[in-house]
Amino acid sequence: MKQIATVLILIFSAHLLHAQDRILKGIVNSQEENTGIPGVNVVLKGTSIGTTTDANGAYQLSISTKGGTLVFSSIGFQNKEVVIGNQSKIDVALVTDTKILSEVIVTGYGTQAQKTITGSIASVSGKAIENIPAPSSDQLLQGRAAGVQVSANSGTPGGGMMVRVRGTTSINGSSDPLYVVDGIPIQSGSLSAIGLGGSTTNPIADINPADIASMEILKDASATAIYGARAANGVVLITTKRGANKKAKISFGTYIGTQNLWRKPAVVDGTTFETLINEASVNNGQKAPYANPAGTINTDWREPVFQNGLLRNHDLSITGGTDKIQYLVSVNNFFQEAVIKGSDFKRTSGRVNLDFTPINKVKVGTSVLFSRNFRNRVRNDDNISGALEGSFFLPPNLPFYQANGSYTKFGTFESPLAAVEHNDITMSTNRFLANVYAQYDIIPGLSLRSSFSLDYSNIQEDLYDDTFLNNGAAVNGSARSVNTRDDNWVQENVLTFQRSFGNHSINALVGTSVQESVFSRTSATGQQFPSNDFRKIISAAVQTGTSEGSSWGIASVFGRFVYDYKNKYLATVNVRRDGSSRFGVANRWGTFPSVAVGWLLSEESFMKSVSAINVLKLRASYGFTGNQSGITNFQSLGLWGGNLNDLGDVSGSSAYVNLPGTAPVQLANPNLKWETTEQTNVGLDVGLLKNRLKITADYYVKNTRDLLLAVPVPRTSGFNTLVQNYGSVQNSGVELGINADVMRGGADKLDWNVNFNIATNRNRLTKLAAPFTVYNRDIYRYEEGYSMYSFYFHEQTGVNRETGAPIFTDVNADGKFDANVDRKIVGNANPDFFGGITNTLAYKGFDLMFFFQYSYGNMQLHWNRFFQEHGGTRNTNFMTSQLDRWQKPGDETMIPKMTAENYSGNLRPSRFLEDGSYMRLKNLSIGYSLPATLLSKIKLSSARVYVSGQNVLTFTKYTGLDPELTGTAATNLTQGIEFYTMPQPRVYMAGINVSF
Amino acid sequence: MYPFKIDAMKRLNHILLTTALCSVLTACDVLDQEPQAEVSESVAVTNLKGATAAMAGMYNQLQDGNYYGRNFVLMGDVAADISQSVGTWDFYREMDTYVTAPANRENAAMWTRAYRAVNIANTLIEAVPTLTDIPDATKNAILGQAYFIRGLTFFDLTRSYGGVPGVVGTMGIPLVLKPSKQVDDSLFPSRATLVESYAQVESDLLKSLELLPETHANITTTRSQAVKGTARALLSRLYLYTNKPQKVIEYANLVINDSKYALLGSYESIFSGAFSTESIFELAFGSTDQSGLRNWYFPSSLGGRGDIAIHEGFYAELIANPNDVRGKMTARDNVVGVYYSTKYQKAGNIDNVHILRIAEVYLNRAEALAQTGDLTGALADLNRIRTRAGLAASTVTGLQPTLQAIWQERKIELAFEGHRFFDLVRTNQALTKLVAVARKNGPPITLTNAGRQVFPIPLADIDSNKNLDQNEGYR
Repeated sequence: MKQIATVLILIFSAHLLHAQDRILKGIVNSQEENTGIPGVNVVLKGTSIGTTTDANGAYQLSISTKGGTLVFSSIGFQNKEVVIGNQSKIDVALVTDTKILSEVIVTGYGTQAQKTITGSIASVSGKAIENIPAPSSDQLLQGRAAGVQVSANSGTPGGGMMVRVRGTTSINGSSDPLYVVDGIPIQSGSLSAIGLGGSTTNPIADINPADIASMEILKDASATAIYGARAANGVVLITTKRGANKKAKISFGTYIGTQNLWRKPAVVDGTTFETLINEASVNNGQKAPYANPAGTINTDWREPVFQNGLLRNHDLSITGGTDKIQYLVSVNNFFQEAVIKGSDFKRTSGRVNLDFTPINKVKVGTSVLFSRNFRNRVRNDDNISGALEGSFFLPPNLPFYQANGSYTKFGTFESPLAAVEHNDITMSTNRFLANVYAQYDIIPGLSLRSSFSLDYSNIQEDLYDDTFLNNGAAVNGSARSVNTRDDNWVQENVLTFQRSFGNHSINALVGTSVQESVFSRTSATGQQFPSNDFRKIISAAVQTGTSEGSSWGIASVFGRFVYDYKNKYLATVNVRRDGSSRFGVANRWGTFPSVAVGWLLSEESFMKSVSAINVLKLRASYGFTGNQSGITNFQSLGLWGGNLNDLGDVSGSSAYVNLPGTAPVQLANPNLKWETTEQTNVGLDVGLLKNRLKITADYYVKNTRDLLLAVPVPRTSGFNTLVQNYGSVQNSGVELGINADVMRGGADKLDWNVNFNIATNRNRLTKLAAPFTVYNRDIYRYEEGYSMYSFYFHEQTGVNRETGAPIFTDVNADGKFDANVDRKIVGNANPDFFGGITNTLAYKGFDLMFFFQYSYGNMQLHWNRFFQEHGGTRNTNFMTSQLDRWQKPGDETMIPKMTAENYSGNLRPSRFLEDGSYMRLKNLSIGYSLPATLLSKIKLSSARVYVSGQNVLTFTKYTGLDPELTGTAATNLTQGIEFYTMPQPRVYMAGINVSF
Repeated sequence: MYPFKIDAMKRLNHILLTTALCSVLTACDVLDQEPQAEVSESVAVTNLKGATAAMAGMYNQLQDGNYYGRNFVLMGDVAADISQSVGTWDFYREMDTYVTAPANRENAAMWTRAYRAVNIANTLIEAVPTLTDIPDATKNAILGQAYFIRGLTFFDLTRSYGGVPGVVGTMGIPLVLKPSKQVDDSLFPSRATLVESYAQVESDLLKSLELLPETHANITTTRSQAVKGTARALLSRLYLYTNKPQKVIEYANLVINDSKYALLGSYESIFSGAFSTESIFELAFGSTDQSGLRNWYFPSSLGGRGDIAIHEGFYAELIANPNDVRGKMTARDNVVGVYYSTKYQKAGNIDNVHILRIAEVYLNRAEALAQTGDLTGALADLNRIRTRAGLAASTVTGLQPTLQAIWQERKIELAFEGHRFFDLVRTNQALTKLVAVARKNGPPITLTNAGRQVFPIPLADIDSNKNLDQNEGYR
């Protein structure tokens, strides 16, 4: 074929030699995708003669006989030059210019050349996270960006996540970052009304990760200040894929997998249970209650609870466009079962992203997501009615069923079997997240963009506890039905100006933003049902209903000025002024400025000679951002209400029998304002060895002041507390990111990329009104000079080898241990350092990716052990750790002799605090892409098959079900605790992606 | 083609400009959000409807479980020789055994809730006179109730945390007379003297007597909300504390001569029924507004929590005379092995709570008559109560025996209604009567620390308000 072509060319060339003018034809293809590229500039070098390719990538150009060189150029591709010679048909394949693409990154309200950026921004490409099974994209940030700490609250599909960008900055408010999807600041807090222990739901799961083109995490004040009063915890910009001026491309991807438990609850069997109880009784001077432990039954309460969960995902998208209109349309269906029976998450979503140039200089478009989710939920994460908790607690010497066929129930605990078989809790979410924009290029470099966005969620939740369940038994069935509506709109206008004047170039913008959020909820409860077949409240004999609502608004003006001189000296100034309905009248508007400077040393002439260094940039930034989340919608107002539950000890209406009543709810605080974070950042970007090795390092200090705290007021006022701006916290740390093209492959060579990141963050409370403790049994303490998430325990240093009694530190050194006073902070849940490392290898058609994620130096509280290493003081099951108890003089162990005294109810021994460090092979995938030759035969442009695993290997000393679990989610103030929490599953799956 | 383009561009320009302006103009709107479930303090009491609602909210504070809905009634009996704490709720055990910690949750809850009522009363007292849509009669009725509730609340606070002049204590309570709106110096009051505190109670009650009507719309509201008779009845009690027997007699006479009030023939019906002639101030409860007393006395087998039981010694006194109907309002919990009161017995925890009833006014008058030397009159009042209970008339003679007989009758007649501890302190008998009181789950208890004849100022307020001094017995 090739030879024939050569011959033909030679013949034509010979012929054309005689012509004065000739027609040159050809097709410009994308090397990667083997499809024509429309709109490529084809210019005869050094002349103005040229044309552009048509929709199929074809071009035709009239040239003189002299020949010359053709230059092919198109944004996103590397330029290519071809000497014409005698040729009359020149087909070229352009290579995607990854360098250029990576040079422009998304920033708040715009994009900016990487080179001129002076802030600290981490970027995660859509490519890096594709085909990783996770319902929500925030989960995919885990281990990918330095300084971004991500962990799941539990393994519940679609469940809540903890995301911290450079530490926790707030006590009363949220420390979650602001999420902005295609320019829309979205609702990202859990909207579920039905509390099931510590389990929460995650609205980010409404967005299909496959639609994501990139996620940028804005970290320092220079990058975030443009988001003002909501930016103190960093900003996550999620940009979805859009169409391009290309031929239509249809892509289809699917994967299917199975999930199982990595570890099972370590509880003892019936015989061991009875033996241990007997031992404890004898130690306490009582008679052993069980005569024949060896002959007892062994019921494994875990067996009915766990399952291998199914995982399934289908993605279908079509993308393409012309020079006038570009589009992306995608649909997705995702389904994930939990490893605990009865829990699953299903998402069906669709997206339409459209960009349209109806008139010259005017562009309009939309980003539209509609997402429909359905969750089957179970009670877990610290819930005594849950199957997981029951499987830990129920004594294994009891049978599943009683003689009369009823479920065996024990104490306040639900039968795990009943919990699994009769659970009926559903949540269905409809979300509409859409934006329309119009952009007008007024003069070259000056454009105005206006957009209107809507983020609307409607959530229907239903719960039914039938008479087989403890919650329903006493009341003949109990039901709850809740409808929640969350309605946000945003209107923004941004005027952008970009121009170079000689050595000076500026990029500036000014804008306005108005956002309003309206929340409403209607709920009903029913009890006393005719039978378990009637599940809707209409059939209940006792029915109650209620409704509630709230709202907030924020209005802002903002601006940014980016300046560079000779591409060497860079400066950025940001400012945003936010007015918020939540702020007190005396502080209605807040101003959040930031400045940053940068110096590209590598552009200096004295550095040009150092060929090994391609990029060397120093950056520094300083500025202020705010956090308004700690203020509830009407916190600054003095309020009266018809409901008294504000004091925490009363609920119900303020009525006096039939006379409707009102009462004061809160005191006014007209000075109430945002929490302010002052952040300083210095950074360094280095590119070495033809940019094969890229290093980014940052050091930051974040001082957050005016922390919102509920400060006690004398109760003679009729109130207990007043939320005031009081207190401060500091976060500081170092971040390092390294990206190395260890081997830059070509067509037939090995390509190997390593991406590594590591970060530290030190958190310290620098000012508090008074120390306070949180969570049950006061196990966390917040005290000035200590970090948040500090554990407050009786420090156990060992067990007396002679007596088997635990040895505790005598904190006040008065010569004796007193449980009332000798308690101290013994550590915290914050890691010394954390991060991830990704290896990506490709050879011919094969690809291999393995991604490790790690955390070091964090303490993890294995709180299950507190309840199940009870030494016989409870009548519930033991964990196997109890087996290490002290039994005879000389025994060396941390687990005391089983006596009532050694396991006294007022002890909080620190031995349940374990080293939570871990390293986990989070993802492993192996794929094979079909070669182009084969693809063209089957009319495909690309095809890849792969197998992958998630949470494949875990290295840790932690003995619980999952070292990654962060908390009970019931409060922002607890982290690093496992408390009957559903673990994350280990996943094995296989998938295929094709496009044509 | 060309003109169209220009046109479209112009239109687009216009649209963009309008949108931009719009957003600037509506910016202010989105900042003015109004709460949906609540109203601003500034508009809460600006008309008749708002004032009526706030008034209901004020009674709701009395109804609350932390105050008359349970806690305060229990405190008066548990701290005395009437009831004992036998359950898991250690806060009443502390009161029962006179080791009440300043951090005691129930003690703090009573304080908090009482001051919440004061704050609403203060709001009404400040706002109602300025309202324009209310006829004077209605205005006075609302104001009168606000003064009455403030008087009652200050009275309860003073006798709980201050003491009784001449018996215990010299410090009274913080007399908060203005509504709390935001944090300023007025939120950090110090304690008035005991005498000033009782004077404030008296002045509030007298003011309420001036303003209140004789009756409300119907007999239920007349008995469940304050009227002139309510104020007079409470004044007759107040003057026992401030040792003004003539005043006790004066106001007791007015109540007893009021045709609305009369001893009910059947003692049991006072509690099994509602709003009988016996009632002067009966706090109303219902299925949506439940009271907690039954739950705390009744055993778990009957759906209660059985935390509070009758002291064995008092049970013996209650049943000493088999004809005494008051001894019949008890039952035994065989599982725990204790006796409990059945005064609060209605299914669904809808028992009303009697704050003032005519029997007490007779006993107030009997005591005052005895003190002024009219032993015959005292005996007549005492025997009205005894006869109604099914007992023979007393023939006691001499001042001290008569007073003792009246106080013993008061103990039995008003048992489980939260009076006993305060009556013992008031009559200076706490240190002699609260001696070796037998308890179910511990050794007998004696009140030895005279300073503990009052409750401690809650720790939360000692911590948050440096102007407050703790009671001597708890320093």
